[in-house]
Amino acid sequence: MNEFLSFAAVVMGIFISFCMYTTLYGKPNPLRSWAEYSYLGAGTGVSIVIGLTYIWNTAILGIQAGDWILIFSIILGLMMVLRVHPTYSYVSRLPLAFTVGTGLALSLRTQIFTSFTLQIRAVIVKLWTNVPLDLLYRVTIAVSVITILTFFLYTMELSGPLFWTSRVGEHLMYIGFGAIFAQTFMGRLGLFIGYMESLTTPTWKTPYTLASALICLIAAILFERTGLGEKLSAG
Amino acid sequence: MNRMSDEGGIYKTMATYDKRWVYVALFVIVLYSLIRPIGMPIGISAMTKNYKAQLDTLQEGDIVFSTWNMEFSGYMELKPGVLATHKMFIEKGVKLCIAFGHFECVALPPEIFKQIRTTLDEYDYTEGEDYIIIGYVFPNEAAVAALARDFHANVRVDWKGNSIEGTFLDEIQNAGDFDMISDYTTGLATTFLIRHIVLEYDTPMVVNSIGVSVPGHLANLDAGLITALLASTRGGAELEFLTNSPGPGLKSMDAFTFGHYSLIIFIIIGNIGHYGWTRRTGARERTGIK
Amino acid sequence: MSSFFKSRSAQITVLIVSFLLVFIPYFIPWGPLDWFSGKLMTIAAVTNAFTIVIAVYSQFRRSGRFINERRKGWVYHIYLLVLLAVMTLSGFIFGQHEGAYQWILLAVVTPLSSVIYGILAFYMSSAGARAFRARSPQSALLLIAGFVVLMYQAPLTGAFFPGIEGAATYLTDTFGMSVSRMFSISVSIGAIVLGVRMLTGKEVAFLGFGEGDE
Repeated sequence: MNEFLSFAAVVMGIFISFCMYTTLYGKPNPLRSWAEYSYLGAGTGVSIVIGLTYIWNTAILGIQAGDWILIFSIILGLMMVLRVHPTYSYVSRLPLAFTVGTGLALSLRTQIFTSFTLQIRAVIVKLWTNVPLDLLYRVTIAVSVITILTFFLYTMELSGPLFWTSRVGEHLMYIGFGAIFAQTFMGRLGLFIGYMESLTTPTWKTPYTLASALICLIAAILFERTGLGEKLSAG
Repeated sequence: MNRMSDEGGIYKTMATYDKRWVYVALFVIVLYSLIRPIGMPIGISAMTKNYKAQLDTLQEGDIVFSTWNMEFSGYMELKPGVLATHKMFIEKGVKLCIAFGHFECVALPPEIFKQIRTTLDEYDYTEGEDYIIIGYVFPNEAAVAALARDFHANVRVDWKGNSIEGTFLDEIQNAGDFDMISDYTTGLATTFLIRHIVLEYDTPMVVNSIGVSVPGHLANLDAGLITALLASTRGGAELEFLTNSPGPGLKSMDAFTFGHYSLIIFIIIGNIGHYGWTRRTGARERTGIK
Repeated sequence: MSSFFKSRSAQITVLIVSFLLVFIPYFIPWGPLDWFSGKLMTIAAVTNAFTIVIAVYSQFRRSGRFINERRKGWVYHIYLLVLLAVMTLSGFIFGQHEGAYQWILLAVVTPLSSVIYGILAFYMSSAGARAFRARSPQSALLLIAGFVVLMYQAPLTGAFFPGIEGAATYLTDTFGMSVSRMFSISVSIGAIVLGVRMLTGKEVAFLGFGEGDE
């Protein structure tokens, strides 16, 4: 791509980003609709190209290399596509059953270890250790996991010690949620800051960023005040 | 913004202001911090030190499976960690096999390699010889499992359609032949990689994760399923500091600091307004956009 | 022939056979079965990838309806379909690394992808400002824990209060991780139960069968 086109792509990207940011203004406007439908159209196009390229690279090239069994993947895939046909959609049930069966096997045979037994094993560790901090961590994790699990027992009435452990678990869970919320916010903020950083580095982008932000904000306000925002947007 | 009325005064304002002022404040704070960074100090967490220590175990010629399980948005958050880690790989002379877990990753290689161009040129790191991009190969769990079992039956060409025969990937029969998996994730195929590669072949795996997924990956780290975890932008900035390669992470830390402080201030203001006006009057005025 | 495709028992049989052919070799390794199981995984991966065609067809149908009925915003749907066609055709004709495909990818898809998820930071900020109230002991605990971890995550705080790292790390590495672990355990139990129900034919809605269908 030559330099001018690269430059144009950057400037267009900055402008269309702030068109999308007008969502925050809270009122419909055509800039936001334009950005939304651009992403839908272009994003779907990209996913088609990449998806079909994967099918070509894996199945077609594999068949050409002598892996004839992969012909079944093309046959089953085309049968799957018949799901959209009004009369023959029942044909897609067979490949669907096959893919679900395979997927179930793949997930169940490993999930029982990664998400269940190994997680439980990580809790059941020697609590006593010479390092006080390790002792504190291990005891806290053990108590938290067990009490939080009792909180989620819905199939029986909780009374006596089970009731109190579930109450403790509830409170510990809220502490956990507070920590998780903070980490989630860190993630989302990092995402926003990372993108803003890319819009201000190198520094020649900064004036375009500020100008786009201002233009889009003014446009959003004008569209609202004139009533054109509702008329010209997609809904 | 609502004007201060005689009843409730500042408490009412704190309880009923238009939420769009929060958006404007966040925008201004972040943009200003990025345009005029101060350069605040940063502490290094034990988790980042462990991540770097794991990368330091790699030797020249080792083959690393670098799995980019992120959308372009996720890359914005993981950028510091991605760049710092790949610089380390190049400096150590490891071979990289780069795979995508999302279709948007096709836009990443030019972006990433542009940022580390100096390091690439300095170490004469070339595509085809030192790194190969095999493209989008993780559309679903079955694809991950199939590739893990028989690499060459599922990957024949790179992302540009060139055959991978005769390259360093000839040494890879299954996923167990990789010396390490370096995963950059927003939570896509990472679970599949753990289930079908780590569990089966015991391949060490380091993860650079977005903030949302960190609690889940902490459980995997504690269970020994992954060997190291780098958390979000902050972790990437710490790695930049440790490896002495300042980049977008350290530049963002001022904005990071003020962004967090601003949320705390918003929450405090909201609580003051709630207890000072909303709860006292018993009224709940609808706030937001009029 | 059509009765075979429509038959519920045939679908369940395919489900169970494909399940066993992939599940058993994991525990009982035997060369030929192992090889066949690997091929089944590749076939399943490619078959699943065909669902993108269904997604695109659905989009065309929906947009077509909007355009035919001249519903509000129908012009945007024409624009969407044109852009979709341009991306697809240029990607296949001129390649994925140059031309209109590459330009639109860099100018439209990647910036907007970043924005769509980045907007959540604003919504979280305003939600925090509006909804986070210390109304009960539980919410107070949530606020305090969130406050400590937020303060730690701001790098400047650690420079002035080094002790905050210990407190925040304790909260995230114990309570936060325990919640995630608990969810992981619960979800895996749920997934196993659902899997068993599907294999025993008690859960067939995913195949398009309703209650009493055969």
